[in-house]
Amino acid sequence: MSELRARVRERLRQQLLDHGGSRSFEDPALFADVERLLQTAADQTDSPALVLPELLGDPDAWRLRTAIRYDSHRPNAAGALRIFVKRRLLMPLLRWLFEYSRDNFERQRRVNQVLFACVQELAIETARLRQELQRRAPGRE
Amino acid sequence: MKLAFVVQRYGADIAGGSEAHCRELALRLTRHSATPRHDVTVLTTCARDYVSWANAYPPGESRDEDVRVIRFPVRRTRRLRPFADLSDEVTDGGAPRERQDAWFRENGPDAPALLEHLAARGAEYDLVLFWTFRYATSYLGVPLVADRAVLLPTAEDDPIVRVEALEDFFRRPAGYLFLTPEEASLVSERAGTGLAPAATIGTGLEPVTAHADTGLLRARGIEGDYVLYVGRVDRNKGCDGLLGYFEAYAAARSAPPTLVLAGPAKMRIPDHPRIKALGYVPDELRDALVSHARALVVPSRYESLSIVLLEAWNHGVPAVVNATCRVLEGQVRRANGGLAYRSAAEFEAALDYLLANPRARDAFGRQGLAYVDREYRWPTVLARVDALLHEVRARRLRLQPDPGP
Repeated sequence: MSELRARVRERLRQQLLDHGGSRSFEDPALFADVERLLQTAADQTDSPALVLPELLGDPDAWRLRTAIRYDSHRPNAAGALRIFVKRRLLMPLLRWLFEYSRDNFERQRRVNQVLFACVQELAIETARLRQELQRRAPGRE
Repeated sequence: MKLAFVVQRYGADIAGGSEAHCRELALRLTRHSATPRHDVTVLTTCARDYVSWANAYPPGESRDEDVRVIRFPVRRTRRLRPFADLSDEVTDGGAPRERQDAWFRENGPDAPALLEHLAARGAEYDLVLFWTFRYATSYLGVPLVADRAVLLPTAEDDPIVRVEALEDFFRRPAGYLFLTPEEASLVSERAGTGLAPAATIGTGLEPVTAHADTGLLRARGIEGDYVLYVGRVDRNKGCDGLLGYFEAYAAARSAPPTLVLAGPAKMRIPDHPRIKALGYVPDELRDALVSHARALVVPSRYESLSIVLLEAWNHGVPAVVNATCRVLEGQVRRANGGLAYRSAAEFEAALDYLLANPRARDAFGRQGLAYVDREYRWPTVLARVDALLHEVRARRLRLQPDPGP
């Protein structure tokens, strides 16, 4: 499998170069490193395992919400009537649109997760390199 | 041992994977030839349909070979619209605990008499085994007999397994039987702790004695090289991705193989000269299709155990699987029984390689068969189950000795 993957990776690298991709990809070893790093990030999409969502604070302020919540600020019977109209009359008519939008938001949510993971992987690499540079700095010898 | 098996549906005519797993284990543990033999009572509902849970079987006691079956009526059928709304809300994250609990109750089956039986008479069984974490029979039943509950979660890495309430639930049982190492890791990760005692058992398969006749295939117009998908043709099974990848693959080749789809269609299948959708197929044709396929394709992202993958290996047929599904990737890696793809380019490379290299294809198939022989024959599976059951019972008796007469 690794041999097949290497072949596919090489084909992809050539395609990217042919279509104006970064010249850095002329180095196959560097391209393999980049692909491995991004693949590690893409495989890690469980948000509790990521730092960035914790740093963004209250999830209500940034997280995509794909479920419809039926509520009304009006009290008692007026509110209940509005919820009934939304849930029982409007929603059946608009369900196709809701489901189309929800599917797209779900995809966006997955992309966000992958991007969070990519940023984390890059931050780890940067932090490691910074530590390595500091360790090798002449003043520390 | 006196065992109770709790499962949402039960019967020879039930097609579900976990239900079939439960029934096979029940029958095999109670047969006269079983060593050791157990006394198994199945506690289930009167439902046959997993969507509505409508009562179809008569309530009360019956027998299935040497298995005692007690069926309890379903109080109300599933309300699909509120359930869909609740599913959206709960999988969206951040739903309060009572809404998460409500999801499991709404998912059903709602069989209060079964839960009353567990509460009143659960202690009469040495152990109570529960199939499938997601149904109310398990979610509400395990806490009633937690000291003797053995859970077979049949969990896959889908949005429901991420529901917060499951962290507590997955810690409750006294023991665990998993289908794959990946499922064991997923459930442990969700519980936030290592889970023990536990065993990974998979499922059992009988050896295939002879390859089916190709006449059945010719009668359905299937000739030449083909790769096979078996199961419901559904977006949730990754079939939209498979069809898209295959169309691109076929368009770029002068003589592509045929993609044969064997299973009922729940989505639109493109009209394509190299895609042949057979719909539901009887067992004999299914066996013939599997045994003569160049490869089995499994595109699903969510699996707790792919039985069709094991069946293909049982016939010595290699597999091409979706690598983003940890279970499939793990099964193929452990067996070295095929190739796993993460992208359209890898899918194409995998098919090209298998079709152009008959020796490699045969080697993958043989390795898959050796893996099934090693891990998934019934005597091996039953020995693992039996060892785990004895371990759980011994541990319970150490912690809480049975009162004397």
